[in-house]
Amino acid sequence: MLDANWVWGTALLYIAILFLVAYYAEQRRKAGRSITAKPSVYALSIAVYATSWTFYGSVGKAATTGIDFLPIYLGPTLTAFTWWFLLKKIVRISKENNITSIADFISSRYGSSQWLGAIITVITLMGIMPYIALQLRAVSTSFTIITGYHDFHIGFMDRVYIPSPHPGLFTAILLAVFSVVFGARHLVSAERHDGLVAAIAVESVVKLIAMLIVGIFITYSLFDGMGDIFRQMHEADPELLTRLTTLGDSGDNSYASMFSLLILSMGAVMLLPRQFQVMVLENAHESHLNPASWRFPAYMFLMNLFVMPIALAGLILTRSNAGADYFVLTLPLQHGHPWLALVAFLGGFSASAGMVMVESIAVSTMLLNHVLMPIVVKVTPRQWFPVLLINLKRLGIVLVILLGYLYQSVVNESYMLANMGLISFAAAVQFAPALIGGLYWPRGNKAGAIAGLLLGFAVWFYTLLFPSLVQAGGWQSEILRNGLFGMELLKPQALFGLTGLDRYTHALFWSMFLNIIAYLSLSILLGQGEKESEQVQRFVRIFAPETPVSQWETKRLSKPVTIMQFVNLMSKFIGEQPAHAAITDYLGDREIDSQGGVSEFELPNLKRFVEKTLAASLGGAAAGAVVESFLSDIGSRMESVYDIFSTVRTSRDQSREALFVRLRASEIMNRSLELDIIMGDLLELILKEFKFDLCVIRLLNDQAVLQVRSCKGVGGERITSEDRMLEIDTHVGEAFLGRRTEFFNDTSFITKPIAKEIFQREGIKSFAHIPIASEGAPPVGVLSVFSRSIIGLFTEQFVELLESLAGQLAQAVRIVEEREARERERRQKEAALLENARVTRDLELAKQIQLSLLPESAPRLPGISIASRCVPATHVGGDYYDFFQRGNSQLDIIMADVSGHSVGAALIMVETRSVLRAQMQSPRPAREVLGVLNQLLYDDLTGAELFITMFCARYDCATRTLAYANAGHTRPLLFRGGGWQELDAEGLILGVEQRVEFEEKSVALEPGDLLFIYTDGIIEAENKEEELFGVSRLCALLSTLQDQEPEAVVERVLAEVNAYASPSSLQDDISMVVMKVLPSGTNCGAC
Amino acid sequence: MKTRIKELVVRRLKLKDTWVICFALGLVMMNYPFISIFNKPISPFGIPLLYLYLLIGWFCSIFVVFLFSRAAARKESEGRGHP
Repeated sequence: MLDANWVWGTALLYIAILFLVAYYAEQRRKAGRSITAKPSVYALSIAVYATSWTFYGSVGKAATTGIDFLPIYLGPTLTAFTWWFLLKKIVRISKENNITSIADFISSRYGSSQWLGAIITVITLMGIMPYIALQLRAVSTSFTIITGYHDFHIGFMDRVYIPSPHPGLFTAILLAVFSVVFGARHLVSAERHDGLVAAIAVESVVKLIAMLIVGIFITYSLFDGMGDIFRQMHEADPELLTRLTTLGDSGDNSYASMFSLLILSMGAVMLLPRQFQVMVLENAHESHLNPASWRFPAYMFLMNLFVMPIALAGLILTRSNAGADYFVLTLPLQHGHPWLALVAFLGGFSASAGMVMVESIAVSTMLLNHVLMPIVVKVTPRQWFPVLLINLKRLGIVLVILLGYLYQSVVNESYMLANMGLISFAAAVQFAPALIGGLYWPRGNKAGAIAGLLLGFAVWFYTLLFPSLVQAGGWQSEILRNGLFGMELLKPQALFGLTGLDRYTHALFWSMFLNIIAYLSLSILLGQGEKESEQVQRFVRIFAPETPVSQWETKRLSKPVTIMQFVNLMSKFIGEQPAHAAITDYLGDREIDSQGGVSEFELPNLKRFVEKTLAASLGGAAAGAVVESFLSDIGSRMESVYDIFSTVRTSRDQSREALFVRLRASEIMNRSLELDIIMGDLLELILKEFKFDLCVIRLLNDQAVLQVRSCKGVGGERITSEDRMLEIDTHVGEAFLGRRTEFFNDTSFITKPIAKEIFQREGIKSFAHIPIASEGAPPVGVLSVFSRSIIGLFTEQFVELLESLAGQLAQAVRIVEEREARERERRQKEAALLENARVTRDLELAKQIQLSLLPESAPRLPGISIASRCVPATHVGGDYYDFFQRGNSQLDIIMADVSGHSVGAALIMVETRSVLRAQMQSPRPAREVLGVLNQLLYDDLTGAELFITMFCARYDCATRTLAYANAGHTRPLLFRGGGWQELDAEGLILGVEQRVEFEEKSVALEPGDLLFIYTDGIIEAENKEEELFGVSRLCALLSTLQDQEPEAVVERVLAEVNAYASPSSLQDDISMVVMKVLPSGTNCGAC
Repeated sequence: MKTRIKELVVRRLKLKDTWVICFALGLVMMNYPFISIFNKPISPFGIPLLYLYLLIGWFCSIFVVFLFSRAAARKESEGRGHP
């Protein structure tokens, strides 16, 4: 015996170490470097299969019934062959659907049925009770054996008064606390629990080492190896040895029991809630399945290697199989090795604690999600929900362990550990038909699964659990002896007269027989619901390559839901932060529209994501119910969309109809160049093929208005008659400006008031506005389609098809517009050319007229010779000169320059000429001429904003005097002898002031003098360096020409100026009058 | 020659069919009537025949699963190498 405090202290220390390990694992996970995401840790965690039943009970079974303890471990080894495809499939499905437990898994497969989940949970809870009881029994009994106290006991308990409860209560409480702390840290059940897994792995190592140490001690210290044990046993009791090491014909340890134990254990290793928890939910990566599939059987092999030797050794040493369950403890104790017994105790404690922790957590998750949650979701979610839920989960753990405690209180000591465990196995194996069928048989349905489970459970309860309770309670029962209602056929342990089998084989046979029959027959007889068939895709065909089915989502939400609404919903169950993190993760780079929602086609996916996220905490069925009730609260629901493409789809986006419509549209575009015909035919096609009621095409016109260009269909006067401005508050405008299709599958949710009113009056149920735009180019118009009968007409694919038709139309519109634009440009160019030619001709005419207004030839007067010339820079000019001959002796010379050389200047010049001619009827002095002209022309000149410079001179042949006045004109040059002078007289330009006094001067000319009167065009001619021709250059030129005839002078000056300005033409009009006084005597006589 | 046989074995082990066949074979070999061959009260090497058979059979099946997992892991890495 060991001191209780020592044992207690050691256990406490061990638990502390486990906590540290768990804490360390959690920290590593938070740092992103999980220590449990390894194949070896995974394999060790699966070894939670080896409970205290393995640790203590196997020895007990080996010592009493014999070799049939082995199939319990051979079965799992066999299933390892199936892991690579079966377990992998389960793991994949669970990860994709955020499965939280085996109940969740099976109920999800059958349309997230809440009933199915609840049934499985109840079966599990009842079935697992004996198993938990077994663990509690093992711990408390082993404590009793090595300390002598009934239950966990500490020294101070002697001093304070604590009512001594039934054995095992303290153990139960201890393990419950342990499980709550490890397993219910957060609500999300679909996530891995790193701390828990690390603790389980350590426990697995401890129990294996403890078993091996004890086994080696007994086999090689107390005996001389395994052969020695078998030999001694053979000598002591050969018959017993033969019985224990061979299979009998009936009852325990027979061929039949061998078979049923194999089946039970094969089912248990996959289907027990804790196995599902560690193998599926705590799996970090699918690739870990591979190494685990041989490491776990190897672990089992080592664990069982010394079971038979220990059992036989116990039999030899104690000469009895009483208390064989605890040979592992008692043998070292009896042989004076209490510390070895303590090691064995720790091994056994590890085995129990690991199992209880995982099992209670798994079952509590099921309880929460499938029994409590359906009630909870009926209540409106509140802010404190996450706290409530996590505490409910903790409560569940305690409840599960307490139920186990209750069972072990009722069942007396006579029941062996292994037997209690097998009852649980038989319950777990009831899930097999629904699970395996659900994975591989698409027809399997909810009705079949529920019926099979209920029948199997009923048979199990009646043939196994009930008798165990009755027998263990020590009560005698009429039912057990004579059957229900005294009917022999209904005897629980010989149902329908089936005898000769051990009770497990008997129960297994009947429960599985009825279970499978019910599952198969109802699945064949009845059909599947819509939700079920949806789930079949996700389960049976999980490994099938991504089918286009999801692309053709045929469901839609009748009323759009915003992202924030979904986030709020999730926050109420899983807390605000995780909800936001989840949605951020989901949205990623998805497009969000202006109202903070995703596109209508994305909504069903978003809804599914929300369900999945909630499922990780609430389980699939409850999550589905939560989302469903949330949607109905806001007046939305999932509904089928009208399927416009009824034939089988050949590929993702090319149904036969779609292909046909595209082809026809291409034909229409190619057949005609007339846009109106194309649009009309296209609308006709769309209207007919897709059963719309109204189709309209609006194109953008020059006034930036979307003008109705074509429409087909009935009614809708307001729609077809009104053009639409480019405004965001109409749907048409929004589609055009936003460059994306605007559609409403249900106009009752429309928000724009004008549109709402129109659609209500027209009775339009759904519509779409598709911008007519080719790839990358701005839209040219909008194609609108309306339906009066069908809600939910527009699927993603249909909208895509309409968009592609609009794209084709955009091409046609573009081609027509380009052609029209080219035509217009050509005509404009022609007109411009024509106009230009006309103006040129007119100007040429004007030029001719203008030139004809100038004196045809210079007047001939005695004593002088005159030459004159005018060269306009453009067609018409502003230069003017004139001669008025008065008799044979007097000549008036006028040289004028109207500013500018436009048509206006030419007209002023003509006016000036007319006025001047009128005024020159009577002879006047030069200054008077200018004064009168100024007065007469002032108004017209200011009106036209033009000026005139004018030089006016009168030459008297008799006196050879030149009297002159100058109105701001370029000063004429007078050459005499070798020099020259400018003829200057004060005077303002005409048209500046109303009244101007002009100075008149006179100069006496001499024979040989050359008078050069000109306009500034000559001296202002520029060469290409932009230097002016200048007065000095002119004077130098004229000086050399003094002897020449006037005509020659004119020619020469013109030639020089032209040469100077070359290569460009003259900028200004050039006019000049050259008068030469002939030598006296020669001509004077003629005067 | 040796490597060719090894290649052949590895290729067969990759098949899901082989896994299922081995599973069924194991089930048959652990049940009546097959197991009755070893269900005799004799003890070769001092160890009861049935116990010895089950232990050796167990060990062998663990070894086969080990080979399977090696082959499957190989398939995976090959699969990654040549997508």
